[in-house]
Amino acid sequence: MNNVVEVFELFLFNIIVYNIPLLYGTTGEIMIEKSGSLNLGVEGTMAIGAVAGFLFGARFDSLLVACIVSFIAAGIVGLVFSFLTVTLQANQNVTGLTITTFGVAFYYFIGNAVSNGEKGWPKFSGTQLDAQSQALNIPGLSSIPFVGKALFSHGILVYVGVLIAILMWLYFNKTVPGLKMRSIGENPAAADSLGINVTAYKYIHIIVGSGIMGLGGLYMALNMGGTFEGSNCWINGYGWIAIALVIFANWSPAKALLGTLLFGFFNTLRVQNAALAYAFPNVLGWLTKIPSHFFSALPFIITLIVLILSSMTSKGRSGEPQAIGRSYYREDR
Amino acid sequence: MRKYHLVRRSNPRMTTTILLYINGLLLSLLVGAILLYALDIDPFEYYGKMFTMGLIGNKYGFKTIEGLLKVFVPLLITSVALSISFKMRFWNIGGEGEFLVGAICASIIAFNSTGMPNVVTIVLMCLAAMLSSGIIGVAIAALKVKFNTNETLMTLMLNYIMLYVIRYIGETKADWNFFLRADSERPKFGTFPDSAIMGGIQIGKFKLLWAVIIAIVLTAIVYVYLKYTKRGYEINVVGDSSATAKYAGMNVGRIVLRTMFLSSALIGLAAALTVSSAGTISDTITNDVGWTGIIVAWLGKLSIPAVFIISILISILQYGCQAAATSYPAIDSNFADLMQGIILVFALIADFEANFKLVETAEAIQRRKERKQKRIERKQTVTGKAEKTAEATKEGTTNE
Repeated sequence: MNNVVEVFELFLFNIIVYNIPLLYGTTGEIMIEKSGSLNLGVEGTMAIGAVAGFLFGARFDSLLVACIVSFIAAGIVGLVFSFLTVTLQANQNVTGLTITTFGVAFYYFIGNAVSNGEKGWPKFSGTQLDAQSQALNIPGLSSIPFVGKALFSHGILVYVGVLIAILMWLYFNKTVPGLKMRSIGENPAAADSLGINVTAYKYIHIIVGSGIMGLGGLYMALNMGGTFEGSNCWINGYGWIAIALVIFANWSPAKALLGTLLFGFFNTLRVQNAALAYAFPNVLGWLTKIPSHFFSALPFIITLIVLILSSMTSKGRSGEPQAIGRSYYREDR
Repeated sequence: MRKYHLVRRSNPRMTTTILLYINGLLLSLLVGAILLYALDIDPFEYYGKMFTMGLIGNKYGFKTIEGLLKVFVPLLITSVALSISFKMRFWNIGGEGEFLVGAICASIIAFNSTGMPNVVTIVLMCLAAMLSSGIIGVAIAALKVKFNTNETLMTLMLNYIMLYVIRYIGETKADWNFFLRADSERPKFGTFPDSAIMGGIQIGKFKLLWAVIIAIVLTAIVYVYLKYTKRGYEINVVGDSSATAKYAGMNVGRIVLRTMFLSSALIGLAAALTVSSAGTISDTITNDVGWTGIIVAWLGKLSIPAVFIISILISILQYGCQAAATSYPAIDSNFADLMQGIILVFALIADFEANFKLVETAEAIQRRKERKQKRIERKQTVTGKAEKTAEATKEGTTNE
């Protein structure tokens, strides 16, 4: 029986610990999409934030430095994206895909260069950076049976991610700048005629959104033990799942929290189906018969269905910004 | 107050545009050179290795060209196919997914074709791939037309669903799974029987695969289709404004469906040619053409001849980086992706320079004139004063 409880606790714990990067990616992308741009560069932005943040964090041996640098590095990527799409009116799909291609290649380029350099790839385990990103173990709360370990024994970045989602929800729905930003996403020309500085708003939100994605990348780097592998990128497709999750969450940061848990549930099921089937042979024995690929594809399948169903039903309740993906050129108005 | 504003140029000149693009290419090579230099690698040597792809002084140079063409054919067809749908402003970014659908369907025929005549098998493979990919494309187009579902996101999801389908096929040992080698313990994709392998024309040691000829002929046909036929014209009109197309009496829905079928079917064909040339299938068979094709189509500004040239250049870049990676352990073939990103950024800037110009706003011109006027006035008063003081000192000196 004790074993069963452990499996269950570990399952809940893993849902959160492995899938918080999705929340960062999703909330960042929601901010960008709500201001009217579709940024397909999540994967690349996260990769750049991860590699820059980790290397500087390891150099100065501080989590704070790592966070600041990854936010800034990813923010610079966002600046490039906004310069190209907002100022130069370039196509958003193409620019975003380029950022992904570039970002992932940048990860390999820097990784190979540092690994082959004189000092080699920095060590992670045992450093201050490692210690600071370890679980906080909130006394009392983390020993609550079943959910204590899952909810209250994580590193600080998990709570920061949740906090960002909550703050973003408040910003969107309860503040004037948030309202103005959403109006740009719906109809930039109307927002412009009300005297809102469309360009400045787009720039700021794209840069901040990208910065948030960068933090998600850093989280992944730390969670993977910070070892560089020449064959596999740290981000490993999470950026694309985040784009799917934005649709699933109907462009709401609050629903993104729930969506992260659901997608995380499938993700964890993929990794742990054998353990679960072993712990509950009668009830969950069938889990081993389902190929892991199905669980990997499930987020995308669900999102495709949600996308189609929501377009079939009334458009009124959809949170999709109406002007998404289109450049705003004042003189074409 | 804004000093400058952007104005779209009414007719950007071709030569200027091309010059700006070449300038952008050189600048991105310069950025690449700086990166290489930072790694203590001689950029000239690296670029030399990359652009010649190790051809010079190589007895097996013909192998290099064959390898290059294997990269080039799928990239060319996919880029051309994507250009067609982009012209209609239909954001088909599902090249990867459509390619995989085609590759899987072509392989089903290939693995079961033992003993069939070569030509028949390959034609069947192509048809199966085109039909299956085409149907996927039409389904997405139908949802777009009927419910206005976001096609960018739909095709994006398709890419990943298909990626896991092919991985599932490649990693599952089972009786039904004829894709895998029967004699291997570990799951491993099998090779096609001889009947399904693409032939070619032997020129000395060099073998020119039929796939290359098909790809080039196809590109020419698509060029004519887009430029000189009514249907091709309709694609352009829908792309410019679907409202105009509707007003002109065109059936926009049907045009979108037809064009998306064509676009996806061509990608399917690219897949069939690729698996047949490779003689096998794998989960990396796409070689990212679905993504790279988007960049190529955009760099070529959706013009078929330009896409043709850019495909050659990008193939050389990719294949050259692979070739150069053997002598530079610090850089792997991902350098090609890095360069592609940099090139596209500079190309977007060049494109902007060609299409827009900065113009001073009327207020700024007005204010500048006023300021100039004031300056002249001030100068006059200053010189006036100066003359007076000069006269005064003169008088002073004479008095003394």
